[in-house]
Amino acid sequence: MSDIGIRVFGNQLAITIRVVARHRVAAVIATLVLLPWVVPYEALSVNILLFGLYAVGFNLVYGYTGLLSFGHAAFFGVGAYACGIAVATFDVNWLLAIALGTIVAGFVAMIMGGLAIRTRGIYFAMVTLALAQCVYYILYQWTDLTGGENGLRGVSVQAVNILGLELNLLDPMTKYYVMLVFVALALWIFSRILESPFGAVLEAIRENEKRARACGYDTLRTKWLAFVLSGMFCGLAGALYAIHLSIVPIETANYTMSGQAVMMALLGGMGTFFGPFIGAAAYLLLEDVLTLWTEHWQFFVGALFVFFVLFFPRGIWGSLLHWVQR
Amino acid sequence: MFHSGLQLLCGLVFGGELLHTWPKNALAWEPILAFVDIPLQLWALQIFTGLALGSVLVLLAVGLSLIFGMLAVVNFAHGAFYTVGAFAGVFVFGLTGNFWLGLVAVPLIVGTIGLAVERVLLRPLYGRGVDYPLLLTFGLSYVVVDAIRMIFGKVGLPLSAPAVLQGAVNIGIGYFPLYRLFLIGAMVLIVSGLWLFLEKTSYGLIIRAGARDPEIVRVLGIDVSRVWMVVFGIGTGAAGIAGFLSAPMQSVIPEMGIPVLVQAFVVTVVGGMGSLPGAVVAGLLVGVATSITVMIAPQLADAAMFGLMAIVLLLRPQGLFGHRGLME
Amino acid sequence: MSGDAILGETVLSANGVGMKFDGFRALANVTLDIRKGDLTAIIGPNGAGKSTFFNILSGAFPPSEGRIVFEGRDITGRRQHEFARLGIAKSFQITNVFPQLTATENVRIAVQAMKIRYDIWTPRCRLTEYVAKAVELLNLVGLHRNRERRAENLAHGEQRALEIAMALASDPRLLLLDEPTAGMSPEETMMMMNLITKLAEDRTVVLVEHKMKLVMGISDRIIVLHHGELLADGAPGDIRANDEVRRVYLGQTG
Repeated sequence: MSDIGIRVFGNQLAITIRVVARHRVAAVIATLVLLPWVVPYEALSVNILLFGLYAVGFNLVYGYTGLLSFGHAAFFGVGAYACGIAVATFDVNWLLAIALGTIVAGFVAMIMGGLAIRTRGIYFAMVTLALAQCVYYILYQWTDLTGGENGLRGVSVQAVNILGLELNLLDPMTKYYVMLVFVALALWIFSRILESPFGAVLEAIRENEKRARACGYDTLRTKWLAFVLSGMFCGLAGALYAIHLSIVPIETANYTMSGQAVMMALLGGMGTFFGPFIGAAAYLLLEDVLTLWTEHWQFFVGALFVFFVLFFPRGIWGSLLHWVQR
Repeated sequence: MFHSGLQLLCGLVFGGELLHTWPKNALAWEPILAFVDIPLQLWALQIFTGLALGSVLVLLAVGLSLIFGMLAVVNFAHGAFYTVGAFAGVFVFGLTGNFWLGLVAVPLIVGTIGLAVERVLLRPLYGRGVDYPLLLTFGLSYVVVDAIRMIFGKVGLPLSAPAVLQGAVNIGIGYFPLYRLFLIGAMVLIVSGLWLFLEKTSYGLIIRAGARDPEIVRVLGIDVSRVWMVVFGIGTGAAGIAGFLSAPMQSVIPEMGIPVLVQAFVVTVVGGMGSLPGAVVAGLLVGVATSITVMIAPQLADAAMFGLMAIVLLLRPQGLFGHRGLME
Repeated sequence: MSGDAILGETVLSANGVGMKFDGFRALANVTLDIRKGDLTAIIGPNGAGKSTFFNILSGAFPPSEGRIVFEGRDITGRRQHEFARLGIAKSFQITNVFPQLTATENVRIAVQAMKIRYDIWTPRCRLTEYVAKAVELLNLVGLHRNRERRAENLAHGEQRALEIAMALASDPRLLLLDEPTAGMSPEETMMMMNLITKLAEDRTVVLVEHKMKLVMGISDRIIVLHHGELLADGAPGDIRANDEVRRVYLGQTG
């Protein structure tokens, strides 16, 4: 490729990235609409969709507010279990079940946040981890309700009725696009939150919490609210995940799931809109590809993560944005 | 030290007052009756078990607190180092057949790995922001645990206590496993040694001063980064020896560090991050609380430590022995 | 110099304020009144306890002993974020802004704090009146030209001015400034002192400084702290003539 050719390519890429960054909601949704056509198999695209949403929720407290939580699995897991139990045990309408999952997760976030929010920074990470393990433990022990170690079975939502249209959720493509509707809605709401005065306060807290307090913001309460909102987004992701799998494995509430959120967020780019989805895609693709080749995929993912922490803390998308803005 | 002792005293007085005002009606006494049904002997034995369990936690928490107090790093790989200690012990034992050699070799091996980790991986991150060392140790835990799987396989390996430490001994109130007594004794020895090192030696003084104010130490011409490296080595070494000491009591599997990490965090939250007396008291407290709960309501055993942590977070978020400023 | 000081009306008083850090006594029994409309300077050599006292007055932490009364209300122990609402604003000794946000956004956030806090829905680009107020304040402190620059890219003196603009965003009746000229060149210092004098016309200003010469000319009242205790309290002329003050400052420049 000639020198001019490279420069033109670079410019085009930069312009594209800038455009994408400015119309972020539309860009993300457009990409997600096209995703199943690009990705080798549908299950992966649903996973990217839902784990991307999970990472987006996590990103609200870490990327935008600066709070490193290691307990987000609690919200994902509770969302999944609440929705799953509603459908499997109480035969609740699927839409209501998803709403229930979201709200219950928000409620758990309210309690966890209430306990953890007075601690700060690195201490916060430990406390959220421990509190989330507490939730995991409750879910694990409450065998009658959750199925305990074996997980929850029978969350089968096979066909849904939206506005008179009968949709077969057993068809992976239909399932993907139905879930995309929820994710798109969530992303729009997320974007509104970021654009709101509240979103500005979150950024201020991330930049300099002491200063934000001096300006007159009750930073404790603000962080708490951010935590609850974050929990709701992750709960929604969990609820959708339960419907996607038709079961709820106990691992959805485990420490490793919390760690996964952190990894995806960092790999993709914290504090960016696109980042979490790219991080989710990267993580899941990596896991898929590596497991074909070795059973020690965790070693390589961990090593890659360490590499990113050292050299690319902005993540893939964050680094791209940074390069473009220079 | 006096300050913390005073706090402990106040805690005990407060607890006493609480018991004194417990309601007198019959229903409220039911859980107490459940306690009374259990013979005192069993109580005492269970408390000793708790102390043994707590001893492992103390060693872990001491390491974690030391690293945090000095480097302001929360070591998410602490559980991994614990696991490395156990496996290193198995390896040394396999090589030499000597348990006691393992006792000396393991902290040295694990501590050296810790030194290397600090020097190579953590040091570049110090300017950057408090979260990065944490994230790095988190990623490291994945690498270390899987590396152990690659080297030693996925199946558990046994490590048995030396013959002289096997069996049970009568401690007056009943028979108690000798190894567990040894464990408590080892913990006391190690923690005392560490305390002496920190309080009485000049290097320990540097470490304590550096935790308070790294600038002063630098101004005095001391290489703070070398001190940090040593402290990280000591902290991880403590985790390693905890792993080695607990190996004869459980199955040595690559995943053994994960629940332990959470326990170590809970203990340090309860005791107060960066506080050594806090680590000791909280470790023993959590150990005893857990084993007593096992006796009364076995399915709630893990809940005991979480309950303790929740109470501490509500009433005294900086931990029993922590300073208020630790939060900022 | 303030034109319309209502003589005798106290806006802030410290009663027996003391501070102990882990066994080290930083302040002991400081009792003083800040009069409304005054420009009061708190001076003293390094280590005198000025910053500690300032932090207590501005709500960073509560005193170990004593009470703080503002406009007749006891505000001891109130949390930091309540102070702005009460009418007290401060600037920090070490520049403390939002580094990656633009100067305008820095001030806009400060303005916003007084109006709404938990609105999670309205796009903030629609709330133009906050931006307008922010620009107005930036104009006042002389940052109008660089208002779209990121705070971290501003010159040191400009960052200090930004701090002041942010402090003014809450329309404070009491403005507390901690060493506002720290690290500034002589020109910047001059500009800052002029700004402070101008600001003192409409509000009560308390200034912490260790350069005595700077504050002599502009203050209505000077308070001298030494070793955590109140050494002297009075008009600049009286302080200049005070023997103890001269002894304490002997050999000190500034």
